[in-house]
Amino acid sequence: MTYDFTLRVAGESGEGVITIGETIARIAAREGVHLATFRTFPAEIKGGPCMIQIRLSDRKVAYHGEKVDCLVTLNQQALDENLADLREEGILLCEAECDVPMEPSSRTAYQLPFERLAVREIGSRISKNIVVLGALAHLLKIPKNRIEEFLAEKFARKGQAILEHNRKALETGMRVAEVKISAKNPFKFPKGAGQRRMLMTGNEAIALGATMAGMRYFFGYPITPASEIMEWLALHLPAVGGKVLQTEDEISAICGVAGASWAGGRAMTATSGPGVSLMSEALGLLSMAEIPAVIVDSQRGGPSTGMPTKTEQSDLLLAVYGSHGDAPRLVIAPTSVEDCLSLIGLTFDLAEKYQMPAIFLVDQALSARLETVDPNTVKRAPAAARLCAEGKDGGNFARYRLSDLAVSPAAIPGTEGCEHMVTGMEHDEFGNFACDDETHTAMTVKRFRKLAAIEADPLSQGLCSYFGDSNAEIGVVTWGSSAGPVEEAIKVAKERGISVRGIVPKILNPLPHKELATFFQSVKRIIVPELNFVGQLASLLRSTYRVSTINLTKIKGVPLEPSEIVSVILETAATLNVRRASRYGTAR
Amino acid sequence: MEPQDRCCEYLSGISPVWCPGCGYYGILSALVEAFAELKLPTQELALISGIGCASRLPYFVKTYGFHGIHGRALPIAQGVKMANPDLTVVVVGGDGDGLAIGGGHLPHVARNNVDLTYLLFNNAIYGMTKGQFSPTTTLSNVTKTSPFGLTGEAINPAALAITYGATFVARGFSVKKEHLRDLIIQAMRHPGFSFVEILTSCSSFNTIDMNVARIVNNQDLVNPDHDVEDRLAALRLASDEKKIHLGVYYRSRRPTLEDKFKEMRSSAHAKAKSRPEGLVKQFL
Ligand SMILES: Cc1ncc(C[n+]2csc(CCOP(=O)(O)OP(=O)(O)O)c2C)c(N)n1
Repeated sequence: MTYDFTLRVAGESGEGVITIGETIARIAAREGVHLATFRTFPAEIKGGPCMIQIRLSDRKVAYHGEKVDCLVTLNQQALDENLADLREEGILLCEAECDVPMEPSSRTAYQLPFERLAVREIGSRISKNIVVLGALAHLLKIPKNRIEEFLAEKFARKGQAILEHNRKALETGMRVAEVKISAKNPFKFPKGAGQRRMLMTGNEAIALGATMAGMRYFFGYPITPASEIMEWLALHLPAVGGKVLQTEDEISAICGVAGASWAGGRAMTATSGPGVSLMSEALGLLSMAEIPAVIVDSQRGGPSTGMPTKTEQSDLLLAVYGSHGDAPRLVIAPTSVEDCLSLIGLTFDLAEKYQMPAIFLVDQALSARLETVDPNTVKRAPAAARLCAEGKDGGNFARYRLSDLAVSPAAIPGTEGCEHMVTGMEHDEFGNFACDDETHTAMTVKRFRKLAAIEADPLSQGLCSYFGDSNAEIGVVTWGSSAGPVEEAIKVAKERGISVRGIVPKILNPLPHKELATFFQSVKRIIVPELNFVGQLASLLRSTYRVSTINLTKIKGVPLEPSEIVSVILETAATLNVRRASRYGTAR
Repeated sequence: MEPQDRCCEYLSGISPVWCPGCGYYGILSALVEAFAELKLPTQELALISGIGCASRLPYFVKTYGFHGIHGRALPIAQGVKMANPDLTVVVVGGDGDGLAIGGGHLPHVARNNVDLTYLLFNNAIYGMTKGQFSPTTTLSNVTKTSPFGLTGEAINPAALAITYGATFVARGFSVKKEHLRDLIIQAMRHPGFSFVEILTSCSSFNTIDMNVARIVNNQDLVNPDHDVEDRLAALRLASDEKKIHLGVYYRSRRPTLEDKFKEMRSSAHAKAKSRPEGLVKQFL
């Protein structure tokens, strides 16, 4: 039997909802359980509804789950807004004061006076979440010592009094739950592989991965949902000899990256759509001057200031094309937290090797969600470096030498005999300004040749995930964080007797042509789910491959749900005389 | 080696694209003379610029050079210096580049006290785009884009730099080459952010604001009694509307950006693991 359990904790921001969720997640990860989470953020600084959902499994999970097995709500509003997502046989744990609807009767509801317990027995309302945690520990059969151990670590710096407080609150929650909650409830604490898994957010994975990849110069301007990357680096980069500078704006940030990279360092900035818009002139400079750079874009609802705390995948065309002129750049889009950790290193390698800017496209949901990651993912050593001249070029160094190679050797300032100019103006081989048509053509071809070279490079192979049946007639193509819901939807469709093939390219510029072309030949219908209004990946695919696509777009500020994708698959299947898989008869 | 030959070592051999009579020629020769005087190895020099006639200067000098985008020379230079503090970094650019489009960067690079030298070529006009007013245009109020007069007051670059927290601020004049060379040398020797405003004429467009004869008749060297550590006195000199004072207005010492990073590194060392692998544990 596989273990697959989804928990949601919902309440008001400030009630400690996230602490409850994180504690459960962290303890499970230490057991070696796989987990995926999702959390929402209120739009305001203080107050507003928030929730965290955690799906635990003994297999790798790509999605945080649609219906929840257990719902914990801390107030009436949270109950009203979340109850619809509780499975029919699910268990509700909620505040005693709340009105709980009777229907459906298949549900079990446990109502405990969390708030009163916290105030009366612990003497502080803020302990409420720990009381809830105690009750939840009983319900989920989490050993008490695991929770105590974790809380002791988490609150170690807050002093003995707080620790004692928490221990009491935890015991109170457990004690009351023992009386109220039947020991026969169906939950059990997951048994994992034993080996601890790392638990981190996408933003933490990017920050750690970049550090492991040798990134030592970070420039940034605060923006939701990317700020945590700079915050983590500000705390940790100095110890490994790196430097973090909070700049006056995103233009300064990307220009700092350009300067530090030209001077020989691995440099990065992280921002969201509004920042990338400001950076687009400098992106062209990086292309033109052939300087490696990594720009993380954690997308949020747009355009303009848009919906800062909501997720969206609407910067794809900005990433691929944004900036004037023909300005090639690399675009990598991870699909999970584990990808964030491993692919950021690859992004640096490719940017360095091909001397060009690379955009690492994530989104709010991926940036913020906690997920388990295999600790071995960290062990990736840099696999490529910038091609550099050794020095003493006789004083006439051709920084932009034309040859059959994809790149020409750079020279790091300080190298003797290789003094040269880099420039955003069109230039000859020596970096001198030249605006004749021949030079402009030759140099543009030189810059674009890199994309073809990247496509053929062994480093960038295997950057597509595949799901489902290879001989299916219905194909689904998606990107970034929508990969999880698609993977899940394909499984559900299979259970309903419909074979679907899914492909998720994690490199979006250059597109992996061989793999996509083969894929398009193998299927009859192409569904493209993504989180934007116009179907940005779909339009890239249509213009590149002249295929027609069925676009499934969503702009609600939250990830796609597998059921939404399944509906489109079912509709598409109805239009095709699809051969149903053999299990069709039983799945109804 | 003759001093003249030493200067030649710093020239790239590419002839400047500037108009005949442009004041920038004087700045270029003062700059290479300063390099020669300081005996700086060419490979350890980085000249960074934005866009404009002034920003073309790095092409004419045999050092490492970065010709970036309009207004962004300072942030690029800040990045260069962060990644390689051993390089001697000099930034050059026009008044539009540095005070209009790039005006938002100056306060921050100044307050960060990045150890670099910024030479701002003040010709009170947009040269490259052929004659629109700049943030420092005042007397010649009729330009191509101000046919009925200017809309705003002129900015005083040196005064701004003092208020922004630059730790070395001076004003020079492209015609007084030796004096300018000495100012550049002092600026480059100063540990921290050095700002030199260089008054210079545009021979093609604004010939009124930076009229050489007018400046020559109205200038004087900074009084030797001036206390360069007195910020208010420096501001008074920089803002004097009756006379143009040439020389060093302000000089002070405070930790540079690099000093700050060193401090951070040592306090981080005291607390944390210094190998990247040590960072993994917090996630387990
Ligand atoms: C983003 C952007 N906007 C406008 C321009 C056009 N432009 C080039 S140089 C320049 C102004 C040059 O004046 P200044 O900085 O004073 O330097 P000068 O040419 O006088 O030396 C302008 C507006 C540009 N290159 N980039």
